[in-house]
Amino acid sequence: MATISLMSSDDALVTVERAVAERSILIKNMLEDLGDSGEAIPIPNVNETVLKKVIEWCDHHKNDPPTAGDDDDNRRKTTDIDEWDQKFMQVDQEMLFEVILAANYLDIKALLDVGCKTVANMIKGKSPEEIRKTFNIQNDFTPEEEDQIRRENEWAEDR
Amino acid sequence: MPKRLRGNSPSDSASTKRIRGVTTPVDRLSSLSNELLLHILSFLPISSLNVCQRLSRRYHALGGDSELWKRQYYSQWVRPRARRLASARPSKLPAPAEYSPRVSTWFDHSHLAEEGKVTNWKRQYRLRHNWSNGSCRVTEIEFLEPPYPPVLVKLCAGIVFTADAAYGLRAWAAKDPTSCLSSISFSDSNVSTTRPTSLAVSQLPEGQEIVVGFETGRFSRYVYDVQTCRLGLRSSHVGFRDGAITAMALSSPYLLMVSQHKILSLYNLRTRSTGKAQDALGPCEIASLQAENMVAPMTLSLRVSTFEIVTTIVYSFYHIGCGWSLGIQELRFNKDGQQLESRLTTTVDSQYGIRPLQSLPSNKRRQSATTDPIYSSATPTEPSILHQQPPTSMSYSHPYLLTSHADNTLTMYLLVSNSNSLFVRGGRRLWGHTSSVSTVQVTNRGKAVSVSSLGNEIRIWELETTVSSLGSRRPLKEESSIQVSPDNRQLENKLGAKSLAQDIGGLDVASTTHGYMHECVGFDEERVLLLRKKTVGTQLLECYDFT
Repeated sequence: MATISLMSSDDALVTVERAVAERSILIKNMLEDLGDSGEAIPIPNVNETVLKKVIEWCDHHKNDPPTAGDDDDNRRKTTDIDEWDQKFMQVDQEMLFEVILAANYLDIKALLDVGCKTVANMIKGKSPEEIRKTFNIQNDFTPEEEDQIRRENEWAEDR
Repeated sequence: MPKRLRGNSPSDSASTKRIRGVTTPVDRLSSLSNELLLHILSFLPISSLNVCQRLSRRYHALGGDSELWKRQYYSQWVRPRARRLASARPSKLPAPAEYSPRVSTWFDHSHLAEEGKVTNWKRQYRLRHNWSNGSCRVTEIEFLEPPYPPVLVKLCAGIVFTADAAYGLRAWAAKDPTSCLSSISFSDSNVSTTRPTSLAVSQLPEGQEIVVGFETGRFSRYVYDVQTCRLGLRSSHVGFRDGAITAMALSSPYLLMVSQHKILSLYNLRTRSTGKAQDALGPCEIASLQAENMVAPMTLSLRVSTFEIVTTIVYSFYHIGCGWSLGIQELRFNKDGQQLESRLTTTVDSQYGIRPLQSLPSNKRRQSATTDPIYSSATPTEPSILHQQPPTSMSYSHPYLLTSHADNTLTMYLLVSNSNSLFVRGGRRLWGHTSSVSTVQVTNRGKAVSVSSLGNEIRIWELETTVSSLGSRRPLKEESSIQVSPDNRQLENKLGAKSLAQDIGGLDVASTTHGYMHECVGFDEERVLLLRKKTVGTQLLECYDFT
């Protein structure tokens, strides 16, 4: 079983099965372009903890069939996340957003979707105030402006 | 599902502790790039998108992103339809449509993405949403001293045109129909003051072309310029020497009209007349016909394709077996006015109608004047659609033909017109109104608006769903029509600003409503225009705005 080494941003070496690492399109392309020289591949944007977390996900999903690329709408229709992924995403916000950023950087579409869906679920069904509190978002509207936007969007309130 | 994230899992409480320790808590969500935030937002339903718009300026911009709404628009309105079409005709169509950013691949939605124009998809979504809920705002224009004949009204590309003897031709903005944009008196022109009897409007590149037909049989051609907001008289002509022009259909440059003596004329309004240099482009009669057996109400329609002009006259007549029926006369002309073909069909067969769509090829019956009539052996004795009274109104926009009836129903027929034949496919009654239906209007995209005279009830029909259920025997669902319920009507009632005691909902059919008569005059993508008559006093023009 071929393995490769990855070098995290904090200079830690992580050894991983090549098939697992290739869930990342970035790494896959790098290996294809450069060939496996046996040297560690630098991943400058991801630290060791996050990288290990990402690899944990890739390892669990290594046998997934390749995503049916164009099935975009079905994917979007539901915010259902499979049980293992739900557990996997039970992390603090810092880690959650680090994983999203890493998935985006490493080009792991399925993981990025899981992360974004998790955030979407944190937004869904909440009031603006609750969402601001959840994510510490600064409100830069005047009360009048906010009220006007609320009125503009009244038509789409939950039926 | 969000519970587990908010809940008291160990990792969560750890994060709160950490945040508490820091003086300014970190907004990790906002530190993401717009691209990633849009990705997150793309998983949200529209109600949450609107909530997100209230978070801050940045989220307001992101949540209103046109591409997001385009996707929402697609999954809400386009995909279900594409699926339905695909399942109805599996062989003809490509694979069930997946979302594609190219609107031209969406069935019948190309009008939403014109060349070089940016579509605001959120606005489109809201418009569609409001139509489907029947929510809109009403504005009214009052005409004092109702002239006789009543004010003629047409709506075209956001401009309302009215014609009456007292004020002449006037243009109003449908967006804000409280002030008149431009007016032109009929007596100012070289036409002596006469009453207008018919009005037709057609879209031109630079504005709208309006033709007004008069009691005397003359007609005048006007142009409304969108840039300057001015109406101008272009020319005036003698149409019929002996009678009023009762109905017109205009599809520039062709004009079809019928006189009270049932003479039908087809004009080309821009013919190069040789010899006269000044008026190089004048109208020219290209065909005239005597049409004997037409009974009102009737409706004219004009379709212009690259090679031919198709004129259709739909009229009602009494059939002994199945009561009031419709006759459809279709005349085809080439561009020089040469008559290519004349075909006639009726709805009688459809009214007996045991003819599911699926078995059409093997079991078709036509009463077409043209080719190979194949009659099935079994003719049912009782018609399934029987009207004892003539229709109160009819509207035809190919292929939909709708009639409204005093018995609270509408009847829909589909007209099939191809190079070989003309026949009526399927007839179906549409239920939903709770009182006599006085008017119906339909567009070729299958949206219809009907108005009842007593209950003050306006209904919107999406006929496409109805068409797909034509073949099957399953009953029509309630959802096929939506009742219009203006948002601001109740407010007005409270303020007592207008003496409109009745609720459009038809719940409060007070005695006052008996004084009203409705005439639906037209609708476009955004509004419905309604002419409301009071038996004594004034006429009201109501504009129902769905934006």
